[in-house]
Amino acid sequence: MAGSNEVRVNESKRVVPLNTWILISNFKLAYNMLRRPDGTFNRDLAEFLDRKVPANTIPVDKVYSFDVVDRATSLLNRVYRPAPENEAQWGIVELEKPLSTTEIVPVIIFFHGGSFTHSSANSAIYDTFCRRLVSNCKAVVVSVNYRRSPEHRYPCAYDDGWAALKWVHSRSWLQSGKDSKVYAYLAGDSSGGNIAHHVAVRAAESGVEVLGNILLHPMFGGEIRTESEKKLDGKYFVTVQDRDWYWRAYLPEGDDRDHPACNIFGPRGISLEGLKFPKSLVVVAGLDLAQDWQLAYVDGLGKSGKEVKLLYLKQATIGFYFLPNNEHFYCLMDEIKNFVNSNC
Amino acid sequence: MGTYDKSISSGSSSSSKPPDQIDSLLSGAGYKVRSSELRTVAQSLERLDNVLVNNYLEISHHLSNDAIHYNPSDLFSWVDSLLSEFNQPVPMPDQSTLSDPAYVNTLVVPTLDPTVNAGVWTEHHAAPQHGIQQQLTVVTAMEEDPGIQLVHVLMTCADTIQRGELSLAGTLIEKLQDLLTRVNTGFGMGKVAGYFIEALSRRLFSTLLYTNRSVYESEFLYHNFYEACPYLKFAHFTANQAILEAFDGHDCVHVIDFSFMQGLQWPALIQALALRSGGPPFLRLTGIGPPSSDGHDSLSEVGLRLAELARFMNVRFVFRGVVASRLDDIKPCELQVNPNEAVAINSIMQLHRLLNSNSTHNSSIDFVLAWIRNLNPIIMTVVEQEANHNQPEFFDRFTAALYYYSTLFDSLEACSAQPEKALAEMYIQRELCNVVCCEGSARVERHEPLATWRVRLSGAGFKPLQLGSNAFKQASMLLTLFSAEGYCVEENEGCLTLGWHNRPLIAASAWQAVAEPRPPLEH
Repeated sequence: MAGSNEVRVNESKRVVPLNTWILISNFKLAYNMLRRPDGTFNRDLAEFLDRKVPANTIPVDKVYSFDVVDRATSLLNRVYRPAPENEAQWGIVELEKPLSTTEIVPVIIFFHGGSFTHSSANSAIYDTFCRRLVSNCKAVVVSVNYRRSPEHRYPCAYDDGWAALKWVHSRSWLQSGKDSKVYAYLAGDSSGGNIAHHVAVRAAESGVEVLGNILLHPMFGGEIRTESEKKLDGKYFVTVQDRDWYWRAYLPEGDDRDHPACNIFGPRGISLEGLKFPKSLVVVAGLDLAQDWQLAYVDGLGKSGKEVKLLYLKQATIGFYFLPNNEHFYCLMDEIKNFVNSNC
Repeated sequence: MGTYDKSISSGSSSSSKPPDQIDSLLSGAGYKVRSSELRTVAQSLERLDNVLVNNYLEISHHLSNDAIHYNPSDLFSWVDSLLSEFNQPVPMPDQSTLSDPAYVNTLVVPTLDPTVNAGVWTEHHAAPQHGIQQQLTVVTAMEEDPGIQLVHVLMTCADTIQRGELSLAGTLIEKLQDLLTRVNTGFGMGKVAGYFIEALSRRLFSTLLYTNRSVYESEFLYHNFYEACPYLKFAHFTANQAILEAFDGHDCVHVIDFSFMQGLQWPALIQALALRSGGPPFLRLTGIGPPSSDGHDSLSEVGLRLAELARFMNVRFVFRGVVASRLDDIKPCELQVNPNEAVAINSIMQLHRLLNSNSTHNSSIDFVLAWIRNLNPIIMTVVEQEANHNQPEFFDRFTAALYYYSTLFDSLEACSAQPEKALAEMYIQRELCNVVCCEGSARVERHEPLATWRVRLSGAGFKPLQLGSNAFKQASMLLTLFSAEGYCVEENEGCLTLGWHNRPLIAASAWQAVAEPRPPLEH
């Protein structure tokens, strides 16, 4: 047993820089401690261990942030914006004027990952990521603090995502362009990507506009064990066993991974035919054990006649985008930038 | 080895880095790890992983439920502390693989895909410097329409006051009062704006800026603030937990409370000491309070009640009241500290009162911290408002206060108990008024953020004691008593903060005097 773990550890060390290896291994260690075999979760210790950062209306590296509470849902949204050119305006939170009356400024609604269970909008890794998104893509980012499992199961995360989308659309200060509307995109990594898909479905069903979906190694699954799950189990920080735990914690109790929340185009999947579903950018990490499900998702979208672009990053592990010390990170940022600016 | 260093440079273009440079990318993720220690941390993580793999359930359970965790930002120490859990008699898996030379070599020199190490881009993309606390302005925006306009005009008014354009400021006050008539001042931003408008008016027009309040009145409002929201309870519980732990093994202990305020904090500590294993120590409590104007000796009165409680709990107890208007009026010999007792200094929102406007020449705080240090306390618990209300520029103070108090009042909306809520609001309003209206020695509410206190206390010869996951858990449990959903406890590098909607409002920390004389200041 020890021997095979040694092999696993050495493999993962070979493909990421040392500080990335430390970061993700640290999460793996912490998360192992927090998940209990009986399906409960040590939320107190999780919140204690999670590194959080406050918002800051003073720009840092040309990005500033502030939190806004959606009074209707008591959910917190953290808004990230590029710093105003004029330094005299630093520190002021603009809640009346639109983002621009002449140019289009994309608003990316971001759902952080964490397998539906971990992290928050103000987790340091996600705060930093959102700031980088703003810098690289010249967009505004709204990071949503959705309710997490196992305390809040399906469909809470989707309800919160939907509420956030509606909230964003109704903010006059997120509008831009000559026709004064909110140019909204949905994005997320891991469970956040899953949420983005389902919110986009609800939006399409309700006639609410979403210009595009960005899914960063989205969390999908199913009952059968795919080749990639068997081949990569435990090799790059993630195990099939822990994936199973998170699905059991999120999906309705007693239900299985063919639930349509999890297995989008599976036996219980819901057809997207006739829905005005947005274009999608799906990013798959080549060393992610869930990639077969993600590739099946891309395939399913294509077969449903929906526009989808696949960005397959062969040597990337999960979480490659947390630290900007690898080529995959920059590739990702470029793709997202083009994706949200192509309409302009 | 050189390749690692390039990829984790902090963005400075200087060729040599100090050996204890923190990895800037991990810093952006909330972890402080020295570049020189990265390999060691990786090794430790790997060892833990191996241990866990072989004995998952038992070890996981132990680490999750029994182990106390401290300062997760300091990854090196945290991982090390987890490893040291296994030097205890917990069944260990076979360790022989760790001594296998081939394995160890692989640990020390992992091969790396050379393409991931091109250092060229990391220079430009250093993580945002979250540590620049002096430039941190935390805002939870209030979106209600009348609120937005009021905020704008309030800030403009503050700006004109700073620039000395007093007649313009007066006009703006009138405009603000007019705007107020069109909003609901019963709650939300309308209510908060009302307080700030009043404070600004007083600053501009009132000749009597500092009214002497009776001690009774202050304590009464404080008591209601204590009941209506969790901030003070958090302060007391957290400080008590730290003091209790520090007193472990000591038979003679002496708590010096810098602001006795009817002794609300102490029944719980007396009880905890009564119940501790090995029995209670001999507890001395010295409570410092201001002189009362009506001759009423509330210090002794409360002291007597605490003595009764202690007697009931079989705790040997002595109370002494020390009357002082200001902490720097006290001569340490008045505290009658015995050399054989373990001393705990407890300061709940008192240290900031010793600050002045001059950041370099702060004789009062320096004087007090020096005598505290000379008492050699085994612990000093410090709780302070997490706010930047002592900035040199009035506009910056005003803006910080506007956001801070609007969040604080917002959290109070969740409280339904009357008259506690209304009286708690009055308590906060007085504090706010002092920040906005007063100057010089009259302005005592000189709150500074945790980051600033860390520097100040370290420079004064104190080192931090970590508040751990057990204190955190207790604080979280406290919050469940308050039905409002917005409260949040956060761990901040060994300290705990309590906030509302992700905005920390109060910070608790613990300190110990350093053994050597005052260390040189770090630049």
